[in-house]
Amino acid sequence: MLDIKNLSASVGGAEILHDLSLSVGTGEVHAIMGPNGSGKSTLAQVIAGRDDYDVTAGSVTLDGEDLLELDPEERAREGVFLGFQYPVEIPGVNNAYLLKAAVNAQRAHRGLDEIDVFEFLKLAKEKMALLGMDQKFLNRGVNEGFSGGEKKRNEILQMAMLEPRLAILDETDSGLDIDALKAVAHGVNALRSPERSIVLVTHYQRLLDYIQPDHVHVLSGGKIVRSGDKTLATELEERGYDWLKEAANG
Amino acid sequence: MSKPDKLQSAAEQLGPDGLSDLRSRAAKKFGATGFPTTRMEDWKYTDLSIASDISVAALQDFRTDLPPSYEIPDIDAHWLVISNGSPQVGSFSAIDGVEVSLLSEADVDLQFNLPLSDLNLALLSDGLRLTVDSGVNIDKPIGILFFDDADTESLVSQGRVIIDVSKSASVQVIEFHATRGDARKYANVFVDLNIGDNARVDYARLQARDPSAVQTARLSVAAGRDATLRHFALDTGGKLVRNDLAIDIAQTGANVDFNGLYLADAMQHVDNHTRVDHRVGPAHSNQEYRGIVKGRAVWNGKAVVHEGADGTDAQQANHNLLVAERAEINAKPELEIYAEDVKCSHGTTVGQLDENAVFYLRTRCLDEEQARRLMTHAFAMGVAHRCPIDACTAWVDAHVDAALNALITEDAE
Repeated sequence: MLDIKNLSASVGGAEILHDLSLSVGTGEVHAIMGPNGSGKSTLAQVIAGRDDYDVTAGSVTLDGEDLLELDPEERAREGVFLGFQYPVEIPGVNNAYLLKAAVNAQRAHRGLDEIDVFEFLKLAKEKMALLGMDQKFLNRGVNEGFSGGEKKRNEILQMAMLEPRLAILDETDSGLDIDALKAVAHGVNALRSPERSIVLVTHYQRLLDYIQPDHVHVLSGGKIVRSGDKTLATELEERGYDWLKEAANG
Repeated sequence: MSKPDKLQSAAEQLGPDGLSDLRSRAAKKFGATGFPTTRMEDWKYTDLSIASDISVAALQDFRTDLPPSYEIPDIDAHWLVISNGSPQVGSFSAIDGVEVSLLSEADVDLQFNLPLSDLNLALLSDGLRLTVDSGVNIDKPIGILFFDDADTESLVSQGRVIIDVSKSASVQVIEFHATRGDARKYANVFVDLNIGDNARVDYARLQARDPSAVQTARLSVAAGRDATLRHFALDTGGKLVRNDLAIDIAQTGANVDFNGLYLADAMQHVDNHTRVDHRVGPAHSNQEYRGIVKGRAVWNGKAVVHEGADGTDAQQANHNLLVAERAEINAKPELEIYAEDVKCSHGTTVGQLDENAVFYLRTRCLDEEQARRLMTHAFAMGVAHRCPIDACTAWVDAHVDAALNALITEDAE
């Protein structure tokens, strides 16, 4: 599904990702862990197409298609979804309006007609129920005045509506209390499917108690320094990141 | 023949009638002062030479016999038309609870330090006085249409309306400005709104003149005890537009809320000056103006809390979105406080769209133009939704939409 080969990226002349390679198979769930400043969010943003970063080397492909050539909206329509660490508040843009515009932009890309209004509402309400979200959120401004937990649920709602091939969830667990974490994890688990790959970017192992990854990678200093199965996450929780940083530098 | 003489003879041409003496005095006074200039603090950023040029050209061959011409806007209201400065009395139909009359000399007088008012009175063919009976609730909005039509000759037009809303009455007023024709036009409009004790006025000033038109307009409000004003102003048209809104609170318990949206395209200059005088407290004033600027705009919001006006709550905000490199906004909030125990705040922002939000929307499948359009629209509607008159909502939505699309689409070219 996702193939990253020898990727280097910098911002303002400072290189943040160094020669990073990662392969995510179809239907797999990968967790990318690492200390603060290791480049986790940069990797997520580069895959989604943020133009603040310069890709200086390497390639990123989705089922063989070069993602780096595409605009962010083209990547999204092709099925790449980025769940933001800090979802943006957009006052005055109605949540339902954005969801519908997003779904329709994707449908147009696939050569489908616009979604029927009733079908859209039915679908949105179903997904909201799954996430334990009140329907009133449909008529609020996008993330406007939402609590941290509400914003993260809203991200997963958008993901559920767009049904991406590849979902990258950047620190989806940060700032959540245990109930919100469970609701978000429940939503993500419901979206696991043999056709969909999920990349969880997280600092803590806590999220992985609720969403079991197939593979765990540790990112440090802009490259992957260790990969393993879910037991690696437990080991990291016990030992911290320093031993890996040392191993990578040594 | 010098210009003051032209003005004097034009003033005479409008009579003889009950306003002749007033016109003559006003012409003489304006002759001595002339138009405000950019050397005056209040006019620092707005140069009226173009208004002066159009006036000189119009006075060269001043006409008092222009045929009426207007188009009623698609808003359900009792419309009163002032076409090329002349009230079209024949077109008025009776409104229950409202007395409409022409101005007499007893209604108006020269004002201190307002040269444009002198110009207005010197060239005023006639004005309107509306009196809303006490305690009535008028069923649908009263619309005052200022319509100017000039195809070939430069046109200067004066509008003057006095609205008295009696005690405990409730009324909605639409002040609508529109034009037709390609010739240069300068409209100079004065509206006095006196809101009686416990009365409520919802007011919308909608300005959609053509892109070559020049407008100066002043709305003066006197708020009675426990009076309520909800005001919204929209400017999308005009080459050079200057609006003054002056609100005087001399009775306790007044509650005034005034908001505005201005769109200034590359060749447009839109200036909004607001001033609220809190002479007594408690009373509450709140304003928010927003602008989307590609050309030039000015916002100057002044709140004066006079000595003894304790319990005043005065809030003001002005937010601007600059959508072109050369766009210019001069935004100036002013608070003068001479009382104790007041709650006042002001905030002004000038900026571009949040690029983080644009990226966010793009990751949600929207293309960049769609994302920018959506955010710009949301910014505008954030204040346009405060238009207090439901009958105007559809017109405002459609008009803002069209004006914004024009402003943004040109960008893409």
